[in-house]
Amino acid sequence: MSLRFLSLLLATTFSLSAPVALHAAPRTTLVLAVSGEPAYGYDPVKGWGRYGNTLFQSTLLKRDAKLNIVGDLATEWKASADRKLWTVKLREDVKFSDGRPLTAEDVAFTFETTRKEAGTVDLTVLESVRAVDARSVEFRLTQPRVTFLNMMVTLGIVPKHAYGPDYGQKPIGSGPFRLVSWAQGQQLIIEPNPNHHGSKPAFTRITFLFTKEDATYAAARAGQLDLAAVPATLAANVPPNMKRVAVDTVDNRGLLFPMQPAKGEKTPNGATIGNDVTADLAIRQAVNLSLDRKALAAGVLNGFGSPAWGPADGLPWDNPEQRLPDTNPAAARELLLRAGWKPSTSASTSANASGALEKDGVIARFTIVYPASDGTRQALALAAADMIRKSGIQVDVAGKAWDEIKLLAHSNVVVFGWGSHDPQEIYNLFSAGASGKGYFNAGYYRNATVNANLEKAQQAASLQESLPHWRAAAWDGKTGFGMKGDATWAWLVNLDHVYFVNPCLDIGPRQIEPHGHGFPVTWNLQDWRWTCN
Amino acid sequence: MNAAFSWRAFALRRALRLAILLPLVALCAFLLVSASPIDPVGALVGAEVMHVGVEQQAAIAHKWGLDQPPAERFLRWFGNALQGDLGRSMIFDDEVIDVIGERLLASLALMALAWTLSGLIGFGLGILAGALEGSLWDRLIRGYAFVLASAPTFWIAILLLLFFAVQLGWAPFCCAAPPGVLPDEATLLQRLHHIALPALTLSLLGVAQVTLYTRDKVREVMASDYALLSFAQGESRLGVARRHALRNAALPALTLQFASLSELFGGSILAETVFTYPGLGAATVDAGTRGDAPLLLGIALFAALFVFAGNTLGDVLARWLDPRHSRAARNDMAADA
Repeated sequence: MSLRFLSLLLATTFSLSAPVALHAAPRTTLVLAVSGEPAYGYDPVKGWGRYGNTLFQSTLLKRDAKLNIVGDLATEWKASADRKLWTVKLREDVKFSDGRPLTAEDVAFTFETTRKEAGTVDLTVLESVRAVDARSVEFRLTQPRVTFLNMMVTLGIVPKHAYGPDYGQKPIGSGPFRLVSWAQGQQLIIEPNPNHHGSKPAFTRITFLFTKEDATYAAARAGQLDLAAVPATLAANVPPNMKRVAVDTVDNRGLLFPMQPAKGEKTPNGATIGNDVTADLAIRQAVNLSLDRKALAAGVLNGFGSPAWGPADGLPWDNPEQRLPDTNPAAARELLLRAGWKPSTSASTSANASGALEKDGVIARFTIVYPASDGTRQALALAAADMIRKSGIQVDVAGKAWDEIKLLAHSNVVVFGWGSHDPQEIYNLFSAGASGKGYFNAGYYRNATVNANLEKAQQAASLQESLPHWRAAAWDGKTGFGMKGDATWAWLVNLDHVYFVNPCLDIGPRQIEPHGHGFPVTWNLQDWRWTCN
Repeated sequence: MNAAFSWRAFALRRALRLAILLPLVALCAFLLVSASPIDPVGALVGAEVMHVGVEQQAAIAHKWGLDQPPAERFLRWFGNALQGDLGRSMIFDDEVIDVIGERLLASLALMALAWTLSGLIGFGLGILAGALEGSLWDRLIRGYAFVLASAPTFWIAILLLLFFAVQLGWAPFCCAAPPGVLPDEATLLQRLHHIALPALTLSLLGVAQVTLYTRDKVREVMASDYALLSFAQGESRLGVARRHALRNAALPALTLQFASLSELFGGSILAETVFTYPGLGAATVDAGTRGDAPLLLGIALFAALFVFAGNTLGDVLARWLDPRHSRAARNDMAADA
């Protein structure tokens, strides 16, 4: 009796503070859980807004649903003949949320401050920036680089008159939203910025909850969220009253091959460079042929993923021509035999217990290294190894910590993940100059033709003009970093990014999302609409 | 009895001990964080590694002094710390003292609530179990204490979260205030509603120890000669427990409760992480997993200070409450005067 009373009391007390789920009128507030809280605050200079929605600031350029670059603050942007000087013209009607106008001075100030700041925005290619007049800005680069455009897309402009150390806590900008309150580690509350020059948000208050995966899922089940980013492992169990949206991505996983033969070369920190087995093109192409990428996406990712054929599937600079048909271990073995790999002779069976193919005393054998902390990469490595073995290559699998992988990455096959809206990634992964710089071109790939194509792409006057060159770098009909060319990688899968969404919430078209799950979903937050009554 | 107790000597001894303890804690924390395989620049850059070139990474390392030898980094930090400057957190890009300060109040409220609850519940259960030794109550309480003592905090926390927040929908699933409500607008009731489950989780774990110790002490008293005399005079078991065991068991329970502050601190980090409660917990986890040495050192120092203060307070209270100690102390003070 008393227990029943107590629980009744608790139930009524708590139901008073429960969120209103049964509202009749169209909703004017939203609660989202997409993670990605910036610890340092909402300061673009320090790295805020590198993807997704900058919320509080606006950028010179932006990407539309199809990832075409369009103007936001900028009305015109063009490069000089030597491609080292970019001139940008600004629109005139833009005001910061404090009412002061946004001018070229603010743009120059933002880029200059960011360049000097040792933060996560890399502007080392920017030599200088200056405001020519109130409406035009000049950027001088140290070398031609079309991917500098990406900086104009991602770097939010901060006001010169109101920028200081605490800016990240109380950002002032010309973006579609204005910060109402940020309780760090808990939630961010935003409202529309009345001074914004673009489309007006339909919601008067939007709350971002910064919960961990488990709590996010619990909250979604409890019906307290309008949108939640969930990991693929939880994606199968959609909560009642929510729908699942699985977004295509270039958040890829693939096997990186060491491209050089082992000649005892070492990096400055003592890591061995090269691998005699994977230096053979036939081995790399055989791996690509024997994989069953559809099965990997279905089995390892529970269907929340798609086969990956290159570093940028579906993006404008992707070249589908470079693909080879997969799921064919017989063809892979045929290719190996043609390339001089032979079934093992009895003399060496003790060293070659699995009966892998051999060539000039070298056993067709390599190790796939994966970061031990990542369950998905482990499962991919194990499943891929099984598929590759069918072609006659012996594959070992080893989980390591990242600091060990740093030393192993130039002499072993490694499961890496990339994926970006910026073709600079292609440059970093395949140009000889980037060899061994961090994880860029970790396989020490060198191909003069590919290099030339990459440089031509960087020297283009616009992203549109650079596209054919990026594509040619992958496969120009004769060579390239792609599968038909040098087969520098065996790409495995692109992960889907899964969101649970309130069926009444229209979130508009989805971009192909980059590496990094969560915030990219907000790219068009100001256009989200409530469709129920 | 010439071992008169001197408060002054006690304070001096404790101060000396603290002066040795804090540098050692800082050194250990620093050695651990520098020996860990985490690359702080890589952790700071995170998913942006693709956009951040090697030159920029070097600039980041230089800005934070990560390009210098560990010994030099530690000595510089130590010198600054002596002057009250605990440095700047890499991941929050803010003064360590501010990062800790902001989160401290929330954590303290949570810990104080859990500490009081666990003390009261644990002591009550211990008295009950000890007084009724061998009964069904005793066995139930002991069983409960053993299960709790061996269950990991985060697991209990997730179970409670699933049951109360998801299944029943009574408790909130995160944060210190409801979603969409400004921190200043949150009512006291809403705040209590949000702190209830984390505090309950945390107190459940503290309960086990106090219960078992108190039970043991009460059992001891119940088997004593003076308890036997009371029984002979017709006093009931609960009556003896109330008149004799309560006071005898209170002191060890109090000392134990103060000594358990270290576990409380550790437990709060886990509970806060599961419930997304905005205390020091999440900051500690971030500092550890992302190699933010200044913040981790700051938190370690603060934790050591917190535990040390708790233990000292426990000792002082024990001496003050126990007539045997306080008589000696009074004599000592009289002698001083």
